[in-house]
Parts: sequence; structure tokens; C-alpha cells
Amino acid sequence: MTTDLALDVRDLQKRFGDVQAIDGLDLSIGVGEVHGLVGPNGAGKTTLFRILFGLVAPDEGVVKLFGGDIGDAGEASTDGVGGFVEEPRFYPYLTARRNLELMADLDGGGGDRIDEVLTTVRLDDRADRKVGGFSSGMRQRLGLSASLLRRPRLLLLDEPTVGLDPNGARDMLAIVRTLAAEGVTVVVSSHNMSELEGVCDGLTVMREGRVVWHGSIERLREESPAPAHRLETSDDGRAAELAKQDRRLEVVADPGGWLTVSADREALDAYVVAVGKAGIAVRRLELLMTALESMFFSLTGERAEQSAPDREPDEVSASR
Amino acid sequence: MSAAAVTVTDTPRERAGVGAVYRVEIAKIRAQLLPRVAAVICVVAPLGFVVFINTQSSVPADSLFGRWVQSSGFATPFIMLSFAGIAGFPLIASVVAGDIFASEDRLSTWKTVLTRSVSRGQVFVGKTLAAMTFSVAMVALLGFSSTIAGMLVVGRQPLVGLSGQLLSESQAIKLIVESYAIALVPTLAFTCLAILFSVTTKNSMAGVIGAPVVALLMVGLGLMGSGVVVRSMLLTSPFEAWHGLQITPSTSKALWIGVLVSFAYGTLSLVAAWRSFRRRDFAGDGQAPFRWSTVGRAVVATVVLAALLLVGTMLNKTWITSTHLEASVSQTLSNLIVVQQQILGRELDPADVKVYSYCKRESVISGVSSGPADDWTCQSFVDGPHVSRLAADYSISVRPDGCYTADAPASLVGPLHMKTPDGGTTINPLSAFDSCMIAP
Repeated sequence: MTTDLALDVRDLQKRFGDVQAIDGLDLSIGVGEVHGLVGPNGAGKTTLFRILFGLVAPDEGVVKLFGGDIGDAGEASTDGVGGFVEEPRFYPYLTARRNLELMADLDGGGGDRIDEVLTTVRLDDRADRKVGGFSSGMRQRLGLSASLLRRPRLLLLDEPTVGLDPNGARDMLAIVRTLAAEGVTVVVSSHNMSELEGVCDGLTVMREGRVVWHGSIERLREESPAPAHRLETSDDGRAAELAKQDRRLEVVADPGGWLTVSADREALDAYVVAVGKAGIAVRRLELLMTALESMFFSLTGERAEQSAPDREPDEVSASR
Repeated sequence: MSAAAVTVTDTPRERAGVGAVYRVEIAKIRAQLLPRVAAVICVVAPLGFVVFINTQSSVPADSLFGRWVQSSGFATPFIMLSFAGIAGFPLIASVVAGDIFASEDRLSTWKTVLTRSVSRGQVFVGKTLAAMTFSVAMVALLGFSSTIAGMLVVGRQPLVGLSGQLLSESQAIKLIVESYAIALVPTLAFTCLAILFSVTTKNSMAGVIGAPVVALLMVGLGLMGSGVVVRSMLLTSPFEAWHGLQITPSTSKALWIGVLVSFAYGTLSLVAAWRSFRRRDFAGDGQAPFRWSTVGRAVVATVVLAALLLVGTMLNKTWITSTHLEASVSQTLSNLIVVQQQILGRELDPADVKVYSYCKRESVISGVSSGPADDWTCQSFVDGPHVSRLAADYSISVRPDGCYTADAPASLVGPLHMKTPDGGTTINPLSAFDSCMIAP
């Protein structure tokens, strides 16, 4: 079957008890696209991933991968679909290499590529250490290597940079770009809009189990509101009054004792100069939200996270 | 990470199947500590037992073959079989089976396994087969190690069987193999039960202890009553089916009932486990939390079930009657007399030995004596060459499973030890003996 769509989801519904996790979700992602999936906690991203992997059965709706139905939950994962959902987990009493050997066995092949994928994720020097001593970030990288064993055409990565240090996160995203260049369709979820901005062709914003925005990154940039800055001056009252003279500015006094200024770069520059000329000292000016984050905020009502502090950093704690 | 090294090609791959899951599970079992410890215990425990017991002045005479443990190495595997049938085999079965599904919850690895090229059905079958393989291996290991331990520490002397017949080395080994093979049947059923606990509780601890607790409960029920119908429905009863191999004439009825009961328990457990596993949403990570409310419901359900079985066990008419006991004691004594005369160097045709027994319970003043009790007495009259007009009064303790221990005063049947023609001493087989009745 030939199709331009790697993923086609129609009217997907999933309820857990009283919680409607997915509520009539429609989503199409083209072959070869790198697509970002963002949304606050509880938006339904992970549930969608679990449905795509066959871990959870949808209540209603149609899910097609490369034009074929994924079938009932419980069937083997669709060939060519790899990735991980939430933090990848392995058998702690086995080495990284042995874990991958077992995964390859469950895939019916791929064992000959273990060294290659371990090198790809820079775990080749820890291949013979037990996974029980791995940090969260190392498990994340091992999860990616296990996914690559399946020679995926569609890679589903749920929060792949969580737990990675900045270098690890950068490397992870570099791999995503390389895979995309080779024609692999990648769907990657994240809380971090700016992180996805440099990687993805398209983006879907989810909220309460629904798609609230779907389109290309370019379109998102066009539609995004101005970035927000925090401004502290020697006289916030006069500074706020001054802002009323420029219609491009939106200034709101924050209860915390500063001004939140929403404006594009040109308008902000002019405003800061004007404040200075008015004899008002600028004591502090910092970026609160990028344009994409502002968009995320306006779509979901929540602020995008810059990092996930609840997970441990990517440090080596493995012992042989 | 090196992005440049990534190569991805769309190559059709061979689908993995049950065989792949089975291989993976076996590899995991071999790498884990608890299964290894269980294997070591199966090897070391019989050796430790037989070494310890042979340093003692007394023998565990209240156990089947206990009085022979210092006289024949072949007694050891039968004693271990009796002990393991209480809760040992269910525990061994649960070590892997009770954890094999729940451990994936504990380690949050379901998403790792189920996102590969195997279906849930293949995972279920592969894991079940792996757990069964471990159970079979452990039963075989226990049988082998206890036989070797007995032979090395005590020797390869002939053993007196449960009907008083003398078992040669080859006969004893054949019976050991057959008896352990019989024990495999309920062990596999307990393996299935442990799988059910593992799947439904999603908790390793509950999975591992569930089946042994059920076994202990059933053993307790079996000790409280001897009604044949309910007793046959207990999954621990098939562990006693090997007794039938040693009864004269041997009977396989208990074995086939045990096979049916084990099959029923095993099948129902696996069907329930599969239904739970197939429909499950793997929507989160981590082991199911321990909930007192769940424990409370399980306790209530267990108590209700146990009460029903107990009432059924006690209401059902006992099959242990004086008629059965008289037939068993007469047959066993007849064989033992032949053995005793063989020890004394006299050949005796069993057909020439006639034994008549009259058994009753001391506490029964009038009416028919019946039921398991330790107040049975049997007066036996023996007629035959070398033993003409021998009379013996045996005090008999009958257990609910139909096995019993008989003791007679030395004034009637001679002392516990007797001299052999070559000047040695051996156990006088008539002084005390163990035997079993088989339910009709």
C-alpha cells in the first residue's frame, strides 16, 4: 500500500475511568516529516504514543500507520515503527549489550547492528556494564539505540531529551535530524517548544486530549504572538504610561513588582530607548517567553517548560 | 552521540515468535539471583538433610520412609518428595512463575517488551513455557540430587516399599523417576496458578507467595477431613498420587484423578490470566501498589472458599474404614513377612503366607470404625511356613491421606533390630511399618 501519510489518526477516543485522555483527536503526519507534539501534562501525548505502540487500546477511532491499521492492542508492533514512551526501561541485572541482544531477538533480527547503534548513542564504552547502574540519561540513550535496532521508518520519541545534559540533548536532536535526512519519519514529544523549533517541520499542540493547533513551524512563527519580557525600572508607573504611546506594545503590571512587556524586537528596542530618554532607569530586562512559548501559553493556558528538573542529570553512575 | 553513524534502511525482517520470547525469558531467568538460589537449594537441601539425619540417633519415623533413612539411600528422595509436596513444589514453581509477569511491572519493562515484534499472545505463551521449564527443571533437579545424596551418604541398599515389598536398586530408581514425574503434574498446575497471581496482582511479592499460601491452605483442609470428593478437588492431593505406584496391586486411579484436577486448575488459571493480560491497558509504569483493601478482599474470598471446602470435606463420608485398613494391613504384613524371611535367608512364596486382620478404633464402643485417627488397633493373625500362627497387635495412626504408621510391641514381633545370618543387624520390618491406603 502506498501512502503519503506515515501516521493518520481519525476521531481517536480514549477514557481512563473518569478521565478523558484522548478526546476526538485527528492527526496526520506525512512520510519523512519530523513532527513535534507539545502540550502540558495531561494533554494526551503519552497516551497517544501508547496507543500507537499498541500498549493501550483506543475506545474509538482509526489509527493508520503507513496506510495500514495498527490493529487491536496486543498485536505485535508494526514493522518499521520504533521508539519509546516515557523513560525507556531495561533489565537492570543485564548489561546494555545483553539487553539489546534480547531486544533484537524479540524483533527477529538486528543483533548484528548492536555495536553500531551503541556507538551511535555513545554507549559503546559502557556496553558491558549492567543497566542497573545507568543514569536516566544513559537509559534514554540506550532506549534510542534499542529503537534504532528495528531500522525504523517511523520513530516515535516521547520526551527524548529529558534527563540528558545539554550536550546529550543536542546530540539526541542531531540524530533526529540525521534520521530525518535519511527519510525516517519522526514524531517527537516535548514540553520544550524552543527545543522542537530547530528540529521539526511541523508541530501539533495538544490540550486535554485534543489538537488545539496543527501546522508547520513557519506558520506557527507567523501566528505566534510577540515574545514577553520582564522589565524592572526605577519608576514602573511612568514606564507603563509611556508604553501607551506605542500601539505595538502591550504592557501589564505584574503583582510581583515588574512590568511584563509583549512586543516584537523593533518595538521593544524603541520602548527601552524611550524609557531611558524619559529619565527612567532600566534596572532589569529579561526574556520571559519566546514567541513560540507565548503561542504555547495562549493555546494551552500553561507555560512551556524549559527543562525537566524532576529527572536526574545525565551523569555516569554506572559500575561494572 | 554521533549522528553521522546512524544508518537506517527499510529491510523486511523475519517476525519473531514464541520461540524468541521463550529464549529471552530463559536468558533472563538464568541471569537472576532468585532462580539461581532456588536451584542451589534444590541441590544442597537433600544433601544437608541426609547428612544431618545420619548424625542423629533417631529417625523421623512419623514420615513416610523416615524409618528407612539411615538404612537405604533410596529413602531420601521419597522423604524429600513427601516434604516438597506440602508447599515446597508450589514455592519452587512460584519463584519464577509468580514473578515472570509482575517483574515487568516492577521494572516498568512492559513497554520495552511489547513494543518489539512480538504479540501479547506470543509473550504470554513464551513466558508461560519458560516458567514451566523452570518448574520441571527444579523438580528434576530435586529428584536427582536427593537420589544422589542418599546413595552417596547412606548407600544403595534395598528399600522396603509402602506395601512391604522389597525394592531392588533398579526398582527403587524406577519408582523414584515415576514418582517425581507424577509430582510434576500438580507442580505445573501450581505454576499456572502462580502465573495467574503474577498477572492479576502485578506485584512480585503477591505473585510469589500466592500459590504457596493456597497450597498450605489446601494441605490444612486435607488434614481436617478425609471426604474423598472434596479431597480429590484439592490441588495438593495429586502430590500424593505416587503412593499408588507402591501399593499392591498398584493403582493409577489417584494419578489420573490428579491429572484431571491439575489440568482443570492449570487451564482455568491460564485462561483467567490470559483474559486479564490480553485486555490490559499498559497505561503507566511501575508495580501495582500493595493495597490492604485488595488483601482484605482476597482474605475474605479465601476464608469463604476454605469454609465451603472444609464443610464439604467434613460432611462427605470418609473412605477410611476398617475394611480398607484390614485389607491394607494384611497385604502389607504378608509382604513384610516375606521380606523378613528373606533377610533371615529363607525363601518364602508370598502365596503361602495368609494374613487376617481385624481393625477397630479404641474410641468406638459400638458401630463401624472409620476415619483418620491415631487410636486404631489391628489384630493380625499370620499363617504360613516359618511363621505359623503368629499373632500381632498393631497400634496404628491413620492420616487423612490414607497413609498410616503401624507399631507392634517387641514381645510379639521381635525387637526393632534383628540379626542377619551373616552376623549383621538390620531393621526388623515387622516391628513397625508405613503404608498407605488408596481412596476407592
